[in-house]
Amino acid sequence: MNVSKDLIAASATPLILAILKENDSYGYAIIKNVKEMSGNELIWTEGMLYPVLHRLEQQQLIESYWKGAESGRKRKYYCIKEAGLKELELQKKQWEMVNSALSKTWVNENEK
Amino acid sequence: MFDLELNIRSWSDHLRAGGNLKDTDILELENHLRDEMEDLIKNGLTEDEAFLISVKRLGNVNLISKEYSKVSSENLWKHLLLDPVDSNSGYQNRRNIILVVIFSLLAGTLVKIPEIFGIHLNDQAAELFYFKNLALFILPFISAFFIIKNKLRWKMIASILGIFCFTAIVINIYPSYNPKNTEILTGIHVPIFLWLITGAAYMGEKWRNCRSRMDFIRFTGESVIYGVLIFCGIMVLAMFTEMIFSAIQIDMGWFITNYLIVYGGCAAAMITVYLVEFKKSVVENFAPILAKIFSPLFLLTMCAFIVSVIVMGKSPFIERDFLIGFDLMLVLVLGLVLYVISARDMHDKASFYDFMNLALILTALIIDSIALSAILFRLSAFGITPNKIAALGENLTLLINLIGLAWLYLCYFVKKIDFIKIEKWQTAYLYVYAIWMAVVAFLFPIIFGFC
Repeated sequence: MNVSKDLIAASATPLILAILKENDSYGYAIIKNVKEMSGNELIWTEGMLYPVLHRLEQQQLIESYWKGAESGRKRKYYCIKEAGLKELELQKKQWEMVNSALSKTWVNENEK
Repeated sequence: MFDLELNIRSWSDHLRAGGNLKDTDILELENHLRDEMEDLIKNGLTEDEAFLISVKRLGNVNLISKEYSKVSSENLWKHLLLDPVDSNSGYQNRRNIILVVIFSLLAGTLVKIPEIFGIHLNDQAAELFYFKNLALFILPFISAFFIIKNKLRWKMIASILGIFCFTAIVINIYPSYNPKNTEILTGIHVPIFLWLITGAAYMGEKWRNCRSRMDFIRFTGESVIYGVLIFCGIMVLAMFTEMIFSAIQIDMGWFITNYLIVYGGCAAAMITVYLVEFKKSVVENFAPILAKIFSPLFLLTMCAFIVSVIVMGKSPFIERDFLIGFDLMLVLVLGLVLYVISARDMHDKASFYDFMNLALILTALIIDSIALSAILFRLSAFGITPNKIAALGENLTLLINLIGLAWLYLCYFVKKIDFIKIEKWQTAYLYVYAIWMAVVAFLFPIIFGFC
C-alpha cells in the first residue's frame, strides 16, 4: 500500500515522540522501528526523518546527546522532554478524534 | 580494491559542499550510513555493494541538504541565495577557481604598480613601504573573494571596503621620523587588524554569531598551517628554478625575485584561502593533530623553564626583545588551545586534551606573571617608548584572554557551565584584538609624535 506523502508527514511527529517516550533512540533505529511497527508499510526516508528530528529539537520537544556505541562509533541519541510528552498527549487526542470520526463514517457505510 | 573509508569521506565531502549541514549533522548521517551498511553486510552483501545501496537509500544528497536548510532557519538566507541545483555547484566551483586565478594575478600586479613610481620591491629605501602595505596588497582580494562568495549586501561591502581605503590612506599619509618606531609598529599591527576585517567578509551577515566566529578562528588557524606549507612549496620551486638554470649559465635571479616570488606569494595566499574554505575535510584533520603533538611538548618546555627559574633563582632579565618573546609564547599557547577547542565537538565530554589545555594556559600564566612583574618594575626606570607600550599592551590583552579561558575551563570542569561559554568568550574577545590593533596602528603614531 502506498501511503500518501501528506499522511506520512503528518504522522511523523507523533510517531517519533511515541518511540522516544519508550526509550531514547537514534535515527537509524527509529526508521527501523517505524518500519517494523507498521509491518513494512511505512518506509521513512532519511531526508525526511532527520530534518523532523532537528525541528523537534529546535522546538524544545526533544533533546539530543552523543553516546558511544559498542562498535566504538558515536551515535546521536534523542530523548523526549517534558514539553514533548505534553505535545504527544495533545497529538494523541487529535488522532483519536480523527480516528473515531473516520470509523463512524465507515461503520455507516457498511450498514448501508 | 574498494576503499570504504575513502568513499565515505568523499560522500561526506559532497554533503559538506552543500553548505547547509553542520559537521555534527554530517556525522549523524555518516553513522546512519554505516548502520545501514552493517545490516546489509550481515545479509551477505559485500562492502562495496552495501555502500552503494546505503548511499542510494539515504537519498539524493542535495535533497537532504535542502531539507536541512529548511529546518535551520539561520541558514535560510543561504538557501534562498545559493541555488542548490547540482549542476550549479559545479559551475560555482569553476567560478571560484577562476576568481582565485584572477585575484592572484591582480594582487601580484598591484604589488608591481608602485614600481612605476620608482618604488622598487628590492630597494632598501622602499622596504618599509612594502612592509607596512603588504596586507593591503592581498587582503582586499581575499575579502572580495568572500564578498562574492557570500553575496554580501552593499552596506557590508561598503563598510569593509571603506575600512580598507581608510587604512590605506592613513598609514601612507602619516609622517615618519627616525627611528621610525611607530611606522614599524603600524606595519606589524595593520595586517592583523585587516585580517580581522577580512574575517567579517568571511563570516558574512552573521559576523556577530558565535558559531561563525568560531569558524573564522578555525579558518585562521588552518590558513596559517596551509599557507606556510604552500609558501614552502613556492620557495622550493624558486630554488629549483635558480639551480637548474644556473647549470646552463642563465641567471634566473631577476625573474625569481621580481615575478615568481611576487605572483607566487599572492597566489599562495589566495590558494590557501580557497583550499581551507572549500576542501574543509581534507584540511580539518590536520591542525588538531599538530596541536595535539605540540601542546605536550610546549607544556614540558614551559614547566622546565619554571623549574629552572625557581631552582637557579634567576629572574628573567627583561629587555623589550624578551618581552616580545613572552608575547610570542602567549600567542603560541593561545593558538594551540584554540586548535584543540575548534576541533572538538561542543557535545564531547571533557577529554585529556581539555585538561592539557588548562595546564598549558596555567603554566603560561605563571611564566608571564613572572615576566610582567619584572618588566613593570623596570619600565619606570628605563622610560616609556612606543615599542614597550605596544609589547606590554599585547601582553595584557593576551593575558586577559587566557585568564578568561582558564577560569571558564575550571568552571566547565566542575560542571557549572556548558562548553559553549568558552567559545562565546573567545569569539567575543575578538573585538578586543581588533580594537587594540587599530589603536596601535592608527593612534600610536599620533600619540608618540610619529617617531
